[in-house]
Amino acid sequence: MSEIAIRVNEVSKRYLISHQQGNSADSLVGAFAGGIKSMFKGGQPVAKEEFWALKDISFDIHKGDRVGIIGRNGAGKSTLLKILSRIVKPTTGRLEFEGRMASLLEVGTGFHGDLTGRENIYLNGSILGMSKQEIDSKFDEIVAFSEIEKFLDTPVKRYSSGMYVRLAFAVAAHLEPEILIVDEVLAVGDSTFQKKCLGKMEEVSQNQGKTILFVSHSIETVLRLCNKGILLEKGRIKAIGSMNEVAKAYLDTNTGISSKRIWDRNDKHNPGGADIRLLSVTIHDHQGINKEEYDVTEKIGISMEYEVVKEGLMFTHSYNFYNEEGINMFNTHDTVSDFRKEIRATGVYSTTMWIEPNLLAEGVVMVGVAAIKIEPFTILFHEQNAVTFTVRDAMLGHSARGEYTLGFPGVVRPLCAWTTLKK
Amino acid sequence: MKTTVTSTDKSLLNFRELKQYAGLFRYLSLRDVFVRYKQTKIGFAWSIIRPIVNVLIFGCLSYLVDRNGSFADKFIAVSAGIVFWQLLSTAMTDVSNSLAANSNILTKVYFPKLLLPASSLLVCLVDFLIAFVIFLVIFISFKGLPPLQVLWLPLFLVHGLVLSFAIGLIFATASVRYRDVKFILPFMIQILFYASPVFLSSEFVLNLHLPEFMKVIYQINPLVFIMNGFKFCFYGEFESFQLSYALLSMGITALLLIVSVRYFLNFEKSFADYV
Repeated sequence: MSEIAIRVNEVSKRYLISHQQGNSADSLVGAFAGGIKSMFKGGQPVAKEEFWALKDISFDIHKGDRVGIIGRNGAGKSTLLKILSRIVKPTTGRLEFEGRMASLLEVGTGFHGDLTGRENIYLNGSILGMSKQEIDSKFDEIVAFSEIEKFLDTPVKRYSSGMYVRLAFAVAAHLEPEILIVDEVLAVGDSTFQKKCLGKMEEVSQNQGKTILFVSHSIETVLRLCNKGILLEKGRIKAIGSMNEVAKAYLDTNTGISSKRIWDRNDKHNPGGADIRLLSVTIHDHQGINKEEYDVTEKIGISMEYEVVKEGLMFTHSYNFYNEEGINMFNTHDTVSDFRKEIRATGVYSTTMWIEPNLLAEGVVMVGVAAIKIEPFTILFHEQNAVTFTVRDAMLGHSARGEYTLGFPGVVRPLCAWTTLKK
Repeated sequence: MKTTVTSTDKSLLNFRELKQYAGLFRYLSLRDVFVRYKQTKIGFAWSIIRPIVNVLIFGCLSYLVDRNGSFADKFIAVSAGIVFWQLLSTAMTDVSNSLAANSNILTKVYFPKLLLPASSLLVCLVDFLIAFVIFLVIFISFKGLPPLQVLWLPLFLVHGLVLSFAIGLIFATASVRYRDVKFILPFMIQILFYASPVFLSSEFVLNLHLPEFMKVIYQINPLVFIMNGFKFCFYGEFESFQLSYALLSMGITALLLIVSVRYFLNFEKSFADYV
């Protein structure tokens, strides 16, 4: 066994959530009165509820391990990263690590719009823990990686968002601590650049033997990058071990999500933000009947309902489809409805997308739903793994299987046209 | 190098760690200096204009109140106090804003948070040095070289900075949880302006018909000694100087520094939970 890089021992983190009592604070006068009352009572104006974001987390990470931390939203991944990177203090427990640690929870932390690209490289680099000598020696590499040579002496607030992200990431990619903690920062930037970053991280971790902890929603990415995995669920470790096993455990628990989900529009964890609220996502057949399983030859509908709360939004809809292995089978967004080019009035909308028969392979399909703006690209909400359904082949002979009954690999299973002629 | 974090960590001043982060301190300070007057037409000239305008306002005021002597004399008489007060009041304000203003960094990366108030103090000092040079030029051209007492200047400068830093630090720490602080500080600075010999001299205040307890409070105010000390460096006379004032002022400053740093360190680790 190699040396231990990080040892986490029974770490828990508690947050107190405030609940306003009664409706008195709904109005300004009410809130004001409440404030005054609390001043004199000296007590708490609100009821506090305990919430354990993490509970009794213990694990060891060895030097050179590349650990993927996965789990659904709210499982405690970010809290764990923040504790590991010493940004927040654990409520109980103990954490030890060996060597220099850097955390990358955001791209471009501390970037200042008024400073030039050059100045920001130094500022951001030093915030991430690099010394001046290190930045000096990597400066040219960073600039080359970011592809912004020409704008090095322009204030970054004049940059396009793509340039900004590229510069920010270039600095981060050249960090060389013994332990690197990365949150889902790769989700930004265009895909070519994302690949470049992932490549760089792979290189750093595999060739230079750095310890990396990596949080991601993308099972594909963690499977590619990590050898060990930790699955968190409701603040506890659900599975730990090789990345493949953990990814499998994650997908297994995820199939527990049903083919229909409803969100409370007032829930603060609602995937939408303040402007738009996701209400429901339903998988159904051509008659609108919600089922868990569909035949390969069936037409499958995916409907979502959402409420536009703020006037003036213009956006379109997007769905992502993943199979059991976490492979992104395909993505689709609404390029046809008239709404996508209209400023939306407030109110509830319903959107349906149809998957043609004989497209999906057998197995579990996970669906992510999103509302996005194309130009400039912005995500209004994106609920990964919103719903799942299963595709079965009844082997009745009119699917791509024909009469073949054994294992049938492939991400998709289209019914293709075949012609054979005798010459 | 092994690092251990536990839930019961004692928060101590870790000088070794502060030294490791010296580079970050430098860039944070440089950032604040560069950014301060960015996108202003006249840039650093503002750090001269602000005190000059203040000096002119109070110079006029003191000339209007008391017509004995020339305007230039009045101008010189108020200027030392105003220029120094400008340093102390901006230091208090900037130090107290330093945490809230950097909340984006606080929640994303680990570093000794003391760097933030410390670097904003440094920036105030840079601002002051520019204004101070102008003040010196004007002073010398009207009055000639300052008296020998000017050699005491570094002492009062350090004393004033330490006190402003301590007060700012208490406010900075409190402001992470209670944003109310942001509204209280301007009032406090306004009160301190009159409760310290910036414009109103100590003799003037102590000769007013005020209740005795207010005069006691005035004498306890550590800024009285510091402001008078600064003026003493240029005008050669120490208004209402008593050794007990000096000791009291230094004692209070030292106490505030200890209390503020303790308070800061106690909460440092939970800043990210509240900010």
